[in-house]
Amino acid sequence: MLLAVGFVLAGAGILVWLLLPGRLPDPPWLLIVFAAVGVYFDWTAVEINDHLVISTSLLVQLTAAVVFADSEPVVAVAIIAALSPFQPIDFRLRRWFEPAVNFGQLVISASAAISLFAYLAPNAAVDSQNLPRFVLAATAASVLQGALNFTLVQFIFRTVFGARQVRPWSNMFNIMLPYLGTGLLAALLGGAYHMINVDGTLALSLITLSLIFVVFFVSQMTFVSYARLREAQDSTLRGFVKALEAKDLYTRGHTERVAYFSELIGTRMGFNGTRLEKLRWAALIHDVGKLAVPRDLIRKRARLSGNEYEQMQTHVHLVEDLLAEVDFLQPMVEIAAHHHAHFDGKGYHGGHKHEGTPSVEARILAVADSFDAMTSTRSYRGGSTPEPSSILRSSRRSSR
Amino acid sequence: MAEREVHHLSLALFLACLGFGSWMAATSPLELWPILLGAAAVALAHFVTVPAPSGEHLYLGIGAATAVAFLIDDPAALLSTLALGMAFAYLILVARRPLDMSGRSHYLGEVTALMAFASTVVVLRQPAGYNPDAHAWVLAIVATAGIVWFSVRALARSLVGLEREDLSARFLWLLALEDWAVIVSLFTAGALFGLAFPHMRWWAIPLALLPYAFSHLAFVRYNNTRITYGQTIRALAQIPEVAGLATSGHSERTASVAVAIARDIGMHPDEVSELEYASLMHDIGRITLNEPAILRAGYTDEDLARWGAQIISEAPFLEQVGELVREQHRPYRSIGEERDETVPLASKIIKVASAYDQALFDQMLSPVDALELLHLGSTYDYDPEITASLRRVVSARGDLRTV
Repeated sequence: MLLAVGFVLAGAGILVWLLLPGRLPDPPWLLIVFAAVGVYFDWTAVEINDHLVISTSLLVQLTAAVVFADSEPVVAVAIIAALSPFQPIDFRLRRWFEPAVNFGQLVISASAAISLFAYLAPNAAVDSQNLPRFVLAATAASVLQGALNFTLVQFIFRTVFGARQVRPWSNMFNIMLPYLGTGLLAALLGGAYHMINVDGTLALSLITLSLIFVVFFVSQMTFVSYARLREAQDSTLRGFVKALEAKDLYTRGHTERVAYFSELIGTRMGFNGTRLEKLRWAALIHDVGKLAVPRDLIRKRARLSGNEYEQMQTHVHLVEDLLAEVDFLQPMVEIAAHHHAHFDGKGYHGGHKHEGTPSVEARILAVADSFDAMTSTRSYRGGSTPEPSSILRSSRRSSR
Repeated sequence: MAEREVHHLSLALFLACLGFGSWMAATSPLELWPILLGAAAVALAHFVTVPAPSGEHLYLGIGAATAVAFLIDDPAALLSTLALGMAFAYLILVARRPLDMSGRSHYLGEVTALMAFASTVVVLRQPAGYNPDAHAWVLAIVATAGIVWFSVRALARSLVGLEREDLSARFLWLLALEDWAVIVSLFTAGALFGLAFPHMRWWAIPLALLPYAFSHLAFVRYNNTRITYGQTIRALAQIPEVAGLATSGHSERTASVAVAIARDIGMHPDEVSELEYASLMHDIGRITLNEPAILRAGYTDEDLARWGAQIISEAPFLEQVGELVREQHRPYRSIGEERDETVPLASKIIKVASAYDQALFDQMLSPVDALELLHLGSTYDYDPEITASLRRVVSARGDLRTV
């Protein structure tokens, strides 16, 4: 609460301080166009769990900085950045904390970064001699913006949730690489705007601008449909798992919980984007094999006979082999298939002959699976309330 | 088109491009090196393809051609650059897939389309009022030429692509339209380079290539995800078969027949992929059949369809697919009606395709007898238009010749 107020005040203070001298970027219509495009991209933005993806709104801001290089770039970008956090969904859900904090955070990092940009390329004309200088300035600004943004978000997370860092600093280099690319591209796009536009006719600047925005638009659109497709894939698998569980009262919600526990453990162990996602997928599919097992076997209250146990395993493997044919799922199937293996290399190896210790992911999954099995009701025994010490003791056998 | 014809025609086009290009280069007042440089760029761009949403792979050549159209004003030099570029591209394409016919038949389409592009640019630049320095004019002309390029290419593809006789021209045309985002990004990259090069010189290369590279990455990712999504659905759809609750391979075969019918009658590509998913999963409801209580109580086709739809609809993105599965058991008309408009076309196709596969593999009928059986059911069960299309599909596959 206090934090949000602080960020809003800081952001608003910077904005007022920037606007106070009364010098506005020129021409104003161009600023409006850039602000509209920036807001549009922020509204349609999707989260992609990936390092290589550039942020379109950062690209728009830096391009604006180069376009307005000779007339108040800091003011221009601060205004664009200040508008972007206010999204319709926040108003609908009456959320105010996130947009407020984001507003302050974005204005601070954008104005700091563009100040660096303006310092490195002060009022220079954008032409072929000066272009390298602008590339340098924009890249530096991009990296600074990224680092500030990262630090501020970390700070907010720590203060609000008291949690450890979401992503450790060691990942910074991976994250920085796209920022370098963004800086270079923004300098080139902004440079193209100035250099094609030598005689300054309106028609020409409109052409150049629209070409630049088409570039933004197409890549944003494709990434959106890519993210949507991934979500579809995720939800399809999730749906099937749900359908399986719906048939069996005892395991209802088991997979969702195991996925949740695995994700918690993975986060604690410092897994990042792609690796965490892989773990979650493995957890989601770790029981799909049961879809193919005759229901009376799954539900059987007595111990399974050797024959029945074998029958159950055959079905499970058939499904695992089926899923392993999907290139993308193959590593996840491997994790899921190994979650019965023991830490010391003994134990049940999912039927496929494998030597050595199972991977960290498989061990995490084993812990999450056992934890949920012990704390929820199964057909062969009632549930027990989680008694941390006893559960940990029995988990120690399979993984550490 | 027969394989030999494609072979000879592509060789002839290569020689024509080479001859025409050299002749035009000789008559052009321009020096030789910009022409050769442009031609090399156009040819090299044919090294790289980008996967488009339609499942096709597009050559980057049109991007290079767009840049050339901006940079070279002289008509003879422009024609020469593109013709020589296509001649070099032939060598690349044939060198890459020496024995593959698809490379050659692609070449036919690419050359025709690119030459149409060049001629449009040249013709539109003729009028007296044209000013090469007015960028708006140049952009408008190249955009028009781009539309011509696109149409000619789609047309050439649907003509040359006719070795697959079961594809309707309408389907191919709609398929080509799916790719507009890729094509727009290629054009934009080319236009940015063409506009920027005179002012920015070699900085124009990263300017055009970087944004395109981001889009390219996105297209490739999208395509990969689309493939694995299909694989995921395929794998999940086989679970009842693996569990021994459905005939092995039934869903895969049904889907392949259903998709062929949909293409034959010219459904929209989006609907075709929905139909493909629905027909792959049309028997997913059989998973419930290992429930002892259900086996005791008995079940109908409608129950199976409903259970399947319930499972599929758990995935929010597949709601429409679930609906198609839910309706798959319904006859195409009820008594006293000409046609029941509430039954989706895709559901009727699934009904026919699934029944055909059952006739072949459960009842062990020959393809002809299976078709006869389906036609017998055309009073209420199977839509005669779809069974007619099925007959075309089956005969195009050559399944009928064995009888």
